[in-house]
Formats: sequence, C-alpha cells, structure tokens
Amino acid sequence: MRLDLSILVPHLGFLAQGALLTAQACGLALIGSLIMGALVAIARTSSSKWLRWVAFAYVDLFRNVPFIVQLFFFYYGLPELGIYIDAFTTGVLSLSIAGGAFASDVIRSGILAIDPGIIEAAEVSGLSRRTTFTKIVLPIALRTSIRPLGSVFVNLILTSSILSTITLNELTGTAKIVASDTFKPFEVYVVLLVVYAALTYIVSILIGLLHKRLNRDLVDGAVA
Amino acid sequence: MRYSEFTPFDIVLLAQGLGVTIGLFLATTLIGLLIGVGLATIRYYRLPVLTQVVTFITELLKNSPVLVQLFLVFFGLPAFFRINVTPVEAAVITMSGNTAAFIYVIAVSAIESIGRDQIEAARVFGLTRWQVLRHVIAPQATAFAIGPLTGLLVNQLQVTSLISVIGVMDLTKIGNTLNLRTLQPFIVWAVVGVLYYLCAKLIAWLGVRLETRLRAHTAWKGL
Amino acid sequence: MIKAENVKKVFGTVTVLEDVNLTVNPGEVVTILGSSGSGKSTLIRCINGLEKLDGGRITVDEFDVAKPKELAEARKRSGTVFQLFNLYPHMTAVQNITLAPIEVLKRPKAEAEKEARDLLASVGLGDRADAFPSQLSGGQRQRVGICRALAMKPRYLLLDEVTSALDPEMTAEVLNILAKLAAEGTTMVFVTHEMEFARQISDRIVFLEKGKLVVDLPTERFFAEDGGLANPRVAQFLSKMRKD
Repeated sequence: MRLDLSILVPHLGFLAQGALLTAQACGLALIGSLIMGALVAIARTSSSKWLRWVAFAYVDLFRNVPFIVQLFFFYYGLPELGIYIDAFTTGVLSLSIAGGAFASDVIRSGILAIDPGIIEAAEVSGLSRRTTFTKIVLPIALRTSIRPLGSVFVNLILTSSILSTITLNELTGTAKIVASDTFKPFEVYVVLLVVYAALTYIVSILIGLLHKRLNRDLVDGAVA
Repeated sequence: MRYSEFTPFDIVLLAQGLGVTIGLFLATTLIGLLIGVGLATIRYYRLPVLTQVVTFITELLKNSPVLVQLFLVFFGLPAFFRINVTPVEAAVITMSGNTAAFIYVIAVSAIESIGRDQIEAARVFGLTRWQVLRHVIAPQATAFAIGPLTGLLVNQLQVTSLISVIGVMDLTKIGNTLNLRTLQPFIVWAVVGVLYYLCAKLIAWLGVRLETRLRAHTAWKGL
Repeated sequence: MIKAENVKKVFGTVTVLEDVNLTVNPGEVVTILGSSGSGKSTLIRCINGLEKLDGGRITVDEFDVAKPKELAEARKRSGTVFQLFNLYPHMTAVQNITLAPIEVLKRPKAEAEKEARDLLASVGLGDRADAFPSQLSGGQRQRVGICRALAMKPRYLLLDEVTSALDPEMTAEVLNILAKLAAEGTTMVFVTHEMEFARQISDRIVFLEKGKLVVDLPTERFFAEDGGLANPRVAQFLSKMRKD
C-alpha cells in the first residue's frame, strides 16, 4: 500500500499535452462565455419584454440541466442536423453556452449596479444606445464583475473535465489513459485532483490581482 | 444492428433511471448534511488541529472536478486498498463527500452570521455551549442557510449525472442507452433534460416554501 | 429658443408639472426657483428629454422633444450639467469630455482632445486633464462636467442644482465659471438655491409652486416689493432661504 508517485514521471509529457488542451478549450470557452453572457445580459435588461423573456428562458434552461446532458445533446444531436464538428469544437461550444448562462447573471448584476445618472449623462449627450453600451455600460459592468466572473471561469475549468466523456483527450482524458497504462489509478487521480485544485487556486489569485488593477481608477482615492 | 423505435417500456426505463438519480441524490444529501453540519459543529467547539485538516480537505473537494473524484474512488480505491467498490458505492461515497464539503462551508457561514451579542447573552444566563447551539444558533442558522442550501442542492442534482460515467444506471445512463438504441439524440436528450429541469425546479420550489415557513417565526409582527 | 407650452408631467398619482409655459431666448440667463418638490428639476429633465411629457409641448429651436428624431437634434443643441456630476468613472477627464464630440459630432480625435484640454485649462484644471474622477474633488468633478457639456458647443446650457452637492469653497469655484459663461452670452437655464448668485447673473427669474409656474419676471422686478415679492408664496420662500 505504498504511494509511489514516481511512476507518473515518464507520462508527464503526455499529461502536459492534455493540460494544454484543457487550457485551450477553457480559454476559448471563456471568451465565448463572456460574449454570450454580455449579449444575454443586455437582452435581459432591454426594454423589449419578448427579448427579456427569451433571455431568461435560456439562462433558466442551461442552469437547470446537467452539463453532461447538454454536451451529449450537442455531440450526438448536431450530426443529425448535418453539422459535423469535432469533439474539441463541440466541447468549446457547449462550455460557452453553459458558461454564458452563468456569466450573463453576473454581468446583468453589474449592469444593474451602474449609477443611472451616468447613463443619463450619456443619453443627454446624444450618444446612441449602441455606443452607450459598448463604451460606458459594458466597460463599467465588466470591471466591477471581475471577481464573480472569475468564479464562472473556475467553474468552467472544473466542468471541462466532463469533455473527456466525448473522447476529448484533455487533462482528465489523458489522465484516464495514463491510469490504465500504469495500473496506478489512485496515484494518478490523487495528483490530478491536486493539480486541478492548484490550478483553480492560481486562477483565483490572478483574478484578484486583475480586479485590483482594473478597478484602481474607479475607487475613490485621495482627493486632490 | 438496426436502430429500433421507442417503446412504451422506455418510459419505465426512464422512470427507473429517474428513481436511481433521485434516490442517490436524497441519500447523499442526507449523509452530506450529517457530515457537513457535524463538521461545522466541531469547528464551533474550536478543536485545533481538526479544523485545519477539515478546511484543507473541503477546499480540495470544492475546487476539483467531481468526475475526477468519482474516478479516484471507483478506480483508485480498489487498486490501492485492494477492496471492492461497486459503481453505486463509489457514487454514494463521492457525492456524499462532495456535498458534505459544500454544506460544511454553508453551515460555518450560517453559524458565524449569528451575532456574538446573542451568544454572549445566552452564555451569561448560564446556558452551556451545547444549549446555545441547539436553542439559539441552530434555528436562526438554519433559516439563514436555506437559500444557499437550495442553490447547492439544485447544483448537486445536476452533478449526479456524472455517476453515469462509472456505470450507475441513473437517468443519464438510461439516456445513453436509449440514444444508442434508437439513434434519436434530440428526443432522448431533450426528454432527459426536461426531467432534470423539472426536478431542479421542484427542489427550488420546496426550498422557497421551507424558507418562508422558517422565516415566518422571525418575521416582525408588530407590537 | 426653448419653448415650453402647457407642459404637464405626472408621476403615478402626483402631478409634478401642470400647465407650465416658459420661453428662453438666445443669450438669456433664466433661473428657476421653487421649494423642493415644486417640479424644477423635472422641468429641466423634460427639456433634455430624460422625462417624457404627459401633456403640452417643448421645442428646442423648433425641434419637438417628444419626437425621437427631433429629440436627437434638440440634444445636440443643449448641454446638461448634473447635480451629482455623473462623470464616466472609467475615463479620464479628457476622455469624459471628448467622448460625445467624437462619437456624436464625429470630430477627429486629436482635434477633440486639444479642445478638451483647452476647456480644462480655462476652468483651472489644465494639470488634471488625465486624472480619473475618483482622483478629483467634488468641485473639480463639476468643472469637468461643465467642460463636458461645453465641448458639444451647445446653444443652451441646462444646469440642474449644480452646486448643491458642493461645500462653500467648491461652490464658489464653480459659480465663478458659470458667471463667466453668462457674461460671455451663453444661454443658460438654472435650477439653483444660490439666491445671491441667481440675483447677480440672471436676466429673468421664474418661480414654480407645486408644479405651476406662478411668477416669471426680470430679476430686479422679481425681488421688488411690488413685483415678485407681492406674491405671498414668493415672499415666504425668499425669507426662508435667507434664514438658511
């Protein structure tokens, strides 16, 4: 019953490849989630009742259905529609849609927290709605929402492990292969667990730093 | 093998899968509650070393993928400890531990939300730490925790879908089976999705009702 | 010319403005006085289109603020300065000022920036041009707000209690700039509590009471015993203000 982690050493290169795939998938999915989240958040705060309802339905649906079910729906379903995309793209797509649902809640809170007077100043200057959103509303909302968006990103990283079920050899997928190759699943999965936890810890720290940096001009500092 | 159509028996299959999902969810929620609240109580009594260890393990469980935790228990434990673990056992162990970790954090935060002045007043009146816990802290902490707890349980229900990967015949696994047989992914996964959705909504609704009932006692009724 | 005819505004069950008629000619400085809740700010917010009218008509240079396309034109001709400044917190002073000229008037960036810095210099903030609002005092923020409104080269300046959130020293800073603008011939519509200031620079004073415009007189006539003061409510209001 000895814990021998050295057997993992020859496989580190292979595991690193898996980690790289995880990083790529999560990076792309983050961008996808932010874009989806921003669009849906704007829809949920729009004056059109219909738009608000559609956006709400989307968020409600994708937050109350398990991710693996969503993933299978797209992975097995899209070919039926004649859409043939590979596992990586399907995974990123699925993560973006699910992540977007969570991100939209966060961004929506950020939008609603903006001082309405600022929007009024923009309106009265004659700025178009589009310009107001892209130059005023979103920049401010995103700055104040960095921490909760960081949580969404961390969640994305953990959820990406599920992509291993659609034959994608990201970190968890490669770990499974190494586990069966070495016949040492306990060692492999314990290390994997710690690696994911360490990864999310580092991301949380970076998010904290990013929050400080982006918000240092917004916080009332010394008055001249 | 030619694909086959849906049969009425498939409804039975779905019901069985749903039953396994719900049964496992309820069991692991219960165990998770016992462990999580138990650990939070231990922390309330401020036992030194244990708190650090518990914090470390809960942070590890909270910040790693549940799928990996499942693999560790299902594949890792038998290889390392030379014991037999069935898929259902592995699922119960993993989900209970994972749920317990999150409940621990919620419970700790709920207990700490109770103002110190109340606790001090109670102690000054001669109540023991246990009596304070039981009569002053527990009722208020519970009311406080229902909201976060409901959110957590809705999430944990989704997470149970992962036990299908290690072979448990839950709702998702049945979905896989039906999908492979009928090759109608849209229908199969839409139905499975709707079933999970309805269960999630049920939990959320129950949570709101429970919270209203618990908070009714603390509502200000006027002089 | 700004023309308000039979303006009516209702919030829920409360009629905040009723049958208000007001004309502001180019070059005039008009001050709107009244107690809290008399509808002063609401009137300004109707002129710049932040509130929709429930009755009557407001035109800015013949553009009807009730019609969206015409409102856009009306807004190009008027600039608003707010009581709580409403500066964009994520942009520097210069960026705050140049945003609308670049986006709405399509001015080239370099040109807009130079003008912005000149404006800031003229109000004494030349060295704070690249500061963020969080690094500026209240008086400084309001001065940036004034520059931001002026950058659009508006015909009419609308000022909604712009010194109410400032302490006496900062109030003086801002009032000096406004006095200069008035002397230069800028058309201004003020809502303010600063009686002395209003008396000094206004051409006309208008008094609102519970949503109705009850007095509209040239300044000296307003403060005369047989003019504005003849109205008991005005007299009461003025004596209260003096006591404060």
